[in-house]
Amino acid sequence: MKSVTLQLAWRLFRHEARRGELTIILFAIILSVASVLSLSLFSERLQQALTDRSAEFIAADRRLNSRHPVEQTWVDEAVNYGLQTAQQVSTRSMVFGGNEMALSDLRAVNQDYPLKGAITVAPQPFASASAVDGAPQAGEVWIDSRLFQLLDVELGDTIFVGDAPLTVTQVLGEIPDAGFSVFNTDPIVLMSMQDLAATNVAGPGSRVNYKTYYTGEASALEDYYDWLRPQLNDEVHYWMSVEDDESQIGRAVARAERYFLLASLLAIVLAAVSIAVAAQRYSQRHFDPVAIMKTIGATKRQIQQIYVLQITFITLLGIFVGAVLGVGIQQLVVTALGDAVEVSLSVWHWRPLVIALFTGSLCALMFSLYPLMQLFSVPPLRVLRRDMNASLSSRTLQFAAAGGAIFLLMWAYSSDLMVSAILFVSGIVLIAGLLAVTMGLIVLGRKLGGGAIGPWQLAWARIRRRAMDNSVQLISFSVTIMLLLVVLVMRNDMIAQWRAQLPEGTPNYFVSNVTEQQRPELIAHFDANNVQHDDFFPVVRGRFVAINDERIRTEVTKEDDEEPREGRDGLGREANLTWDLELQTGNVIKQGRWLDAWQPGMPDEVSVESEVAQRLDINLGDTLTFNVGSEIITVTVTSLREVDWQTMQPNFFFVLHPEAMKNYAATYITSFHLDESRKSEITRLMMPFASVTLFDVDARINQLRDVVDQVSLAVEFILILVLAAGSLVLIAQVQASMDERQQELAILRTLGAKGSLIRLSVVYEFIIIGVVAGFMAAVANEFSLWLLQSQVFQMEASIHWEYWLIAPAAGAIVVGILGALGCWRLLALNTGTLLRKMV
Amino acid sequence: MIETKAITKTVSTSEGELQILQPISFHVKAGESIAIVGASGSGKSTLLGLLAGLDEVSSGEIMLDGQPLHTMDEEKRARLRGEKVGFIFQSFMLVQSLTALENIMLPAEINGLKNPREKALEILQQVGLGHRAHHYPNQLSGGEQQRVAIARAFITQPKILFADEPTGNLDAANSDKVEALLFKLNKDNNTTLVLVTHDTELANKCARQLHMQAGQLSESSLREAS
Repeated sequence: MKSVTLQLAWRLFRHEARRGELTIILFAIILSVASVLSLSLFSERLQQALTDRSAEFIAADRRLNSRHPVEQTWVDEAVNYGLQTAQQVSTRSMVFGGNEMALSDLRAVNQDYPLKGAITVAPQPFASASAVDGAPQAGEVWIDSRLFQLLDVELGDTIFVGDAPLTVTQVLGEIPDAGFSVFNTDPIVLMSMQDLAATNVAGPGSRVNYKTYYTGEASALEDYYDWLRPQLNDEVHYWMSVEDDESQIGRAVARAERYFLLASLLAIVLAAVSIAVAAQRYSQRHFDPVAIMKTIGATKRQIQQIYVLQITFITLLGIFVGAVLGVGIQQLVVTALGDAVEVSLSVWHWRPLVIALFTGSLCALMFSLYPLMQLFSVPPLRVLRRDMNASLSSRTLQFAAAGGAIFLLMWAYSSDLMVSAILFVSGIVLIAGLLAVTMGLIVLGRKLGGGAIGPWQLAWARIRRRAMDNSVQLISFSVTIMLLLVVLVMRNDMIAQWRAQLPEGTPNYFVSNVTEQQRPELIAHFDANNVQHDDFFPVVRGRFVAINDERIRTEVTKEDDEEPREGRDGLGREANLTWDLELQTGNVIKQGRWLDAWQPGMPDEVSVESEVAQRLDINLGDTLTFNVGSEIITVTVTSLREVDWQTMQPNFFFVLHPEAMKNYAATYITSFHLDESRKSEITRLMMPFASVTLFDVDARINQLRDVVDQVSLAVEFILILVLAAGSLVLIAQVQASMDERQQELAILRTLGAKGSLIRLSVVYEFIIIGVVAGFMAAVANEFSLWLLQSQVFQMEASIHWEYWLIAPAAGAIVVGILGALGCWRLLALNTGTLLRKMV
Repeated sequence: MIETKAITKTVSTSEGELQILQPISFHVKAGESIAIVGASGSGKSTLLGLLAGLDEVSSGEIMLDGQPLHTMDEEKRARLRGEKVGFIFQSFMLVQSLTALENIMLPAEINGLKNPREKALEILQQVGLGHRAHHYPNQLSGGEQQRVAIARAFITQPKILFADEPTGNLDAANSDKVEALLFKLNKDNNTTLVLVTHDTELANKCARQLHMQAGQLSESSLREAS
């Protein structure tokens, strides 16, 4: 390349940058890099923070559950991989204190436990607990508040765990991986691993679970797992990572991550749209210089070199400024949200930077490709015939290049073909619809725009005349509005669903083991004390023994899976059977019919939760056998139910017809809510019902609420960022179209048209475009939301009628105002200046 | 210097082919100045475009300084324009983002001439705008812009200068200045001048006038200047 072209390109770049002529395209690239970088950097950090937070629920980054002691070499090898490890042995065991005894969930841990999260202890039973460093020392035991009640002991007393006498030194609040189950939760006893042998509880025949915890760099964890995997036996071992966390928190985090991904994708598309608009405008503004240069002897090759170089300079500058700005925005946001979201700035993530740079350059390249090709095709004859434009004009090529680039970017970035395809197809449908609508508008314009010339007629005349230009503009407005709607509505729906899981007054205490006689007394007691409680569910514990008389292995029920999947523990050696004629809230019959259709003389019936039915291969018409005490109950499956496990209420795998259970004495389970201010009353409140088991789930609920709040806040921030990016894109679009209107405004002005006529006509034109764009965006939004919610977010899709009105109204207002502002700026110039600008 | 043989120009319109130039043949000698005059729409700008190699003839032959313009593609024509042709337009056609000096340097740089800056500064002095070297076009008056355009046209010392209504956008005083400058530089450089104009006074300053009417250059309209 000759240095003269380099010099020329650099000179043009320098002058144009100084004179503000590159502002829009530069701005578009800066915007794209800054928004993609800040969004993905922030979301990466946030994901890290949320993953760390979720890791607390398994007390590590990864965990190996085993039914047998794991080999020491496995632990040693983990250390070689640079990982930290901890160990826990758990079993159910009786503990003895004074004259009392109780079944406990025994956890023997070493001093490194937990690797993530913290053990909390309270100054006295049922008081609020705070985090503590370390774990019980040899000879010590930390026990759950309930055990103080059950064993009638105090701090400093000795209790027997198996054969070992241990001193109670702390009231145990929580351990990170306690799991959460309303049923069957025995109070936790936490002791040192060193004392385990002396207890003799982990002998042959006892059901013991060995857990090994790991933390470290993600890559080291992956490498270690690759090494370990061939040695694992599926029957004995279960490898678990945070992503496997199927709890409400795990699911909230997973959904939020998808949302961040979606928002970042949309930011990329927004950025791409803005670059496309800016590149088009850039190209059109250079038609004259290219015609002049060609006239005075520049070859096509020289022109190509000059402009490709110029675009390169612009891109480099845009990327640099955008990257600095992106890091700045992200830093500001993290600082601003610092109190609410624990996001660390200490680790630098390279991936977002690479993505942002890649996005900036690919967008600049792909979206300026067609406008540049157009620019190169400008004939020199334009110097004589000003109406001659570029000879290359292929919308198909333009759309194919732009569409291909967007799809590639989305796919490359998300590695998720489904999300990319959904957004892309919605975009195509929208564009096809918009083209049809534009054609419709032209026809409509002929009818609506008749009569004496006024602002309304002028507006329609312009829409009609500039049909093709307007259709491109309409598409970019609609796509922008649609993307904003998707992000906004998705956020609203998601947060609403999260909040719905934990409404104010969500039960924070569960009581079980309420006898038939106690039930009316407890109801009266609650009413007298103004305590809001839920329904009482009868529970009988039964052993699930056979399907169609074929005995089942208890192993298939994963009884040692103590992960926080509410209610799953009911399907252990013993299942919790309940009965009711009313279908519980949050339950939906998927197959068969509900129990209320039972008639005397028919076999006894049961309704089975659909997932467990699938896992155990239970079908409609099968007979299930339960062993309750010494009795055998055989029931026929008449329905399969889907259960919303996200509700904070007792849920059951098996609901039987009351007729089948009429001869069994049940205990009852219920839940109630006690305000924070009344928490101190709990001991007094439950005193008259000492035999009833009380679970305080407040800590769990608060933990969940905290995570949901943090995630919601982050989601809102991302929404604001995308909204800001979208608004800037809209401004850029209006600005670009103003240039094209300049000539007409100058002519109208010269002919003596009043400012108000011109202004109103432009405002009307933009309002019409805004209404149509808003409406089309609402339709496309509905379509893409339906696909996204049902296919990607596993949420219930719903129609958002309100946006069918809001979007056109907002489109009209925003686009109208932007149009008016742009027009005022032009009209503020005197006619002479306007005419000169045309030349 | 320029020789045309039965050149025509036909364009496609929605109503079919439209011949905007009937077969035209004439000859322009080196150093001669000719004016193409005629009413609006008579085809004079089209003819200028063809003669300057900005457009392609539909049929016929054009020889420009002995080179067959009608057989060349756009790339070759561009090179030829760069080497032998200068242009002046009614709307000046300066690159708005370059200064007066840089606009003048542009053809010299594109065509790889040596010392473009020095040459440009020198010619800028000749057109009386030495003090405006670093101004952008929109900071100059119409007359000044056209003088910059003239300077730009002459920097490569072209053999032929094409001017399209060079005073069309100027007031009387500026027109006079620009005309004087144009003819002086034309004479000094011994350039062949082809200009299109409505202005009879300007046309009369040329050695010959070609009259265009409805795409035809009638024989009777050809006359030697006195």
